[in-house]
Amino acid sequence: MHQVRQVNSPGISRLPLLQGGVAVIRVEAVTKRYGEQKAVDGLSFQVADGEILGLIGPNGAGKTTTIRMLCGVVRPDAGRIMVGGYDPEEQGDKVRSAIGVLTETAALYPNLSGIENLRFFADLYGVDDPHRPDQLIDEFGLAEHKNKKVGKYSTGMKKRLGLAKALLHRPSILLLDEPTSGLDPAGIDMVLKEIARLSREKGVTVVLCSHVLHQLETVCRRYVVIKRGQALAQGTLSELAKSHPGPCVVEVETDYPLEIEKDSVFEGDAGGGIGFQAKRLPNALIQFTLPSRDEVPKLVRKLSQTARVYSVTLKGEDLQSVYFRLTEGANNE
Amino acid sequence: MNRRAVVAIARKDIKSITANIQVWLPMLILPIVFSVLLPAVVVLSARASQGDTAQFMQVISGMLERLPESSLTRIISSFETDQQKVAYMMLNYFLSPFFLMIPLMAASTVSIDSFVGEKERGTFEGLLLTPVSMRSIFTAKVLAAFLPAIVVSLVSFVLFAICANVFTWPILGRISFPHINWAPLVLLVMPAISVFAILINVFISARVTTFQAGYQLGALLVLPLVAIMIGQFTGFMLLDTRVLLAVGIILSILDYVLLRIIVRKLDRAWLFESQVR
Repeated sequence: MHQVRQVNSPGISRLPLLQGGVAVIRVEAVTKRYGEQKAVDGLSFQVADGEILGLIGPNGAGKTTTIRMLCGVVRPDAGRIMVGGYDPEEQGDKVRSAIGVLTETAALYPNLSGIENLRFFADLYGVDDPHRPDQLIDEFGLAEHKNKKVGKYSTGMKKRLGLAKALLHRPSILLLDEPTSGLDPAGIDMVLKEIARLSREKGVTVVLCSHVLHQLETVCRRYVVIKRGQALAQGTLSELAKSHPGPCVVEVETDYPLEIEKDSVFEGDAGGGIGFQAKRLPNALIQFTLPSRDEVPKLVRKLSQTARVYSVTLKGEDLQSVYFRLTEGANNE
Repeated sequence: MNRRAVVAIARKDIKSITANIQVWLPMLILPIVFSVLLPAVVVLSARASQGDTAQFMQVISGMLERLPESSLTRIISSFETDQQKVAYMMLNYFLSPFFLMIPLMAASTVSIDSFVGEKERGTFEGLLLTPVSMRSIFTAKVLAAFLPAIVVSLVSFVLFAICANVFTWPILGRISFPHINWAPLVLLVMPAISVFAILINVFISARVTTFQAGYQLGALLVLPLVAIMIGQFTGFMLLDTRVLLAVGIILSILDYVLLRIIVRKLDRAWLFESQVR
């Protein structure tokens, strides 16, 4: 797999080439200004056919502007975008026919009921199957509330209806901005499984923006990390972790008698030259910080000689930790 | 043009009128005031013209003299009493500019709601993200404002005709409304002024952020009507059939020009960036 760091000066020539897939979305050196402020600054990335890409970054990073440019409703000042083989600026209606979009607010009509909203958008998207709105209402668990005005829906219900709206015309590309915000755990699980199923079974290409990074980990294959409109890095999680290595942190559930106060840090040597820092956590957990993940087996072996080890969880390699390393690194640059 | 989408958007917009009291209340109050209360006031003032109201009659007679010779003046002259002349003249002549306020206000209220309302409710984004062309969206929005405005105006006209004839029957003893002058007014000026109000409001809506602001600016459209009323009362500009035909034709030309300008200027990205936060 490829991995490319693009700090400060991304450009077409440095665009990562997709391996083993056709690029359905191509964003090449795109810039968008609002007045003096650059919302997107030379952003480049590609999304392969059927891939689920996580577009992540802090608030104001340019994610929503990027999604809007992909839809052809915001015009870039520079650069080139292709979505499903069309230029959103020139062939916007063709792009919008091919994509399903879920915006942060879901943009539903509050004075229409759930089913009326779907029927209305079915007309706008030219959906010929008259059962499609009801089918989606059932699929997203809204059958009981389908005749209730959307203004009376909870945030989670609106989000589910918004997702149903995005899927009405069976799009080949989905652009989802915060699809799980406001959902309860069961709703989050359902939405993420549906996204994964659409990609797996129907080959739908998905771009997902979210702040809840651990949720993305379960569905996304690749990520583009953006900040201040620029791509800080892109690649799979392991590629991002490798390119931005951090200390190896493991949480061990053990009855090892570590004699330290809660919240204080113990610096020690596990023998054989394994230096570590340890911190006691609640529920018989000890957090060890090691120089590298190669030291983990040695540490576990050492602990097992004198105590029982119930579980070992590797931390610091998850998306959230890698993301913080990346964005904090960018702050320091 | 995507006919299915046009019908869906127009139907949705018309439905939203009934859901919003800010929209339907002014649309109902004004026609009732103009169609029921105005003829009642006219009859009362005609009755009051009996006895020691010589001054009032002088004013009316002065206006009558300034009117050019027409079928209207001939009919008015054929009445025997001042009371009859006043009643006929007020109903058939003075109230016509008042009546134009109905399509103007109705079209303004609905058109502001259909554009600014989308923005206020955060739904414009969803509409612009669909594969429906700007031309289709615009056509649907204009239709959604035009149809209710015309229906309200025509219903008001029928209601006004019934009330006018019922109230004046004891004085005139015959069907006295409408005079032929009302034909160009109802068939040409009313639709033309509705479209004009809608198009002007589309311009305003693209530049304001709230329904109230749009409504206040849109209300400025009443000013030319006030000028016509003053002209009518002072005899400066008399709305006879020829003047009404001319007004209707000029408004229709203005509508066509405005329509061409708006359709050429309709830009999804510009609208999105100016309307969606």
